[in-house]
Amino acid sequence: MNDQPHYRFPPASAYRLNRCLFALKSDDGFRARFLKDARAAMGELELDVEDAAALLRGDRDALLARGAHPYLVFMADLRLKIEREPVSFEFF
Amino acid sequence: MLVGAFACAHTPQLLARPGTEDRDLVLRVHAAFARVKRRLETLHADAIAIVAGDHVEAFFLDAVPALAVYVGTECAGTFGRYRYRFPIHEPLARAIVEQGVERGFDLFYTQQAPLDYAFYVPLHFTMPEPAVPIVPLHVNVYLPPQPTPRRCYEWGRTLGEIVRARPERVILMASGGMSHFPGTDRYASPEFDYDRRLLDALKAGHGRELAAITGEELDKMGNIELRTWATLLGALGEAKADVYCYEPSWHHGNAVVEWPV
Repeated sequence: MNDQPHYRFPPASAYRLNRCLFALKSDDGFRARFLKDARAAMGELELDVEDAAALLRGDRDALLARGAHPYLVFMADLRLKIEREPVSFEFF
Repeated sequence: MLVGAFACAHTPQLLARPGTEDRDLVLRVHAAFARVKRRLETLHADAIAIVAGDHVEAFFLDAVPALAVYVGTECAGTFGRYRYRFPIHEPLARAIVEQGVERGFDLFYTQQAPLDYAFYVPLHFTMPEPAVPIVPLHVNVYLPPQPTPRRCYEWGRTLGEIVRARPERVILMASGGMSHFPGTDRYASPEFDYDRRLLDALKAGHGRELAAITGEELDKMGNIELRTWATLLGALGEAKADVYCYEPSWHHGNAVVEWPV
């Protein structure tokens, strides 16, 4: 692990998974659909069963092992958390 | 002509502060941003050419440019509740992309792409009054393989030559850094000593050292975004950095720096 770079080349096998994480990060409409019915939303992007299971569990290590980009995992998770349990911010 | 050069952190918690962030620290960084804003007003800039690394917002895996120039008439983006829009200095943007390509840099350009928060955060705090148009210049930092620091430095040298030959008064601004590891196990333990050593080298005018750092080292030190600084330093040569602030939070080394031009 220590010899691995923190940010690795995203394997093409993880394209759909990364596409889904990207949409959770940046697409408000997709995120809303995901929060309403995660399986249906993941189905839109044709996520495979194991990717979908790891995402539903919020299993960061499994997602990274499957080729998810760490920054996308981080931001997708953060956006979902903020929607589920609003955080109070001081806005500047 | 080039009239000013700055580097600014773009940590999103400086814009929207959750309870996890030290308020006094955030305000000290804001004070450094306010100094930059006053400097920009004194310098009577016509445009800000801002070098930042898109956080997989404009450029997903469908197309991953190493170096890109926004050349539309305006650009816009969103970040949480923030909605922003900036006019682009189109003649300057066109000159940069056309002359950059002419000089051997195979630049990607876009006339319509979302503007990432890495561009927005420094501009939110430092945009002079009255506001000036911008030229967003993207450097790929998050999607390997990224351009090498040396390549960024060389691009910066050419960018500096292009800007210096222009009639407009141009500010170069690098957005990003310093050490942080979003999404990894290292998030709460950045390499602050590395940042401080690097800032000492920059204060001594050794900006060229950034060109010699490997991409591997930047990744190891949480400083993949310093490719934007390497670009800026290519335009500046041996100028000595004036460090307005270095404020390490629990997850991020926040720096604001000016270089004489």
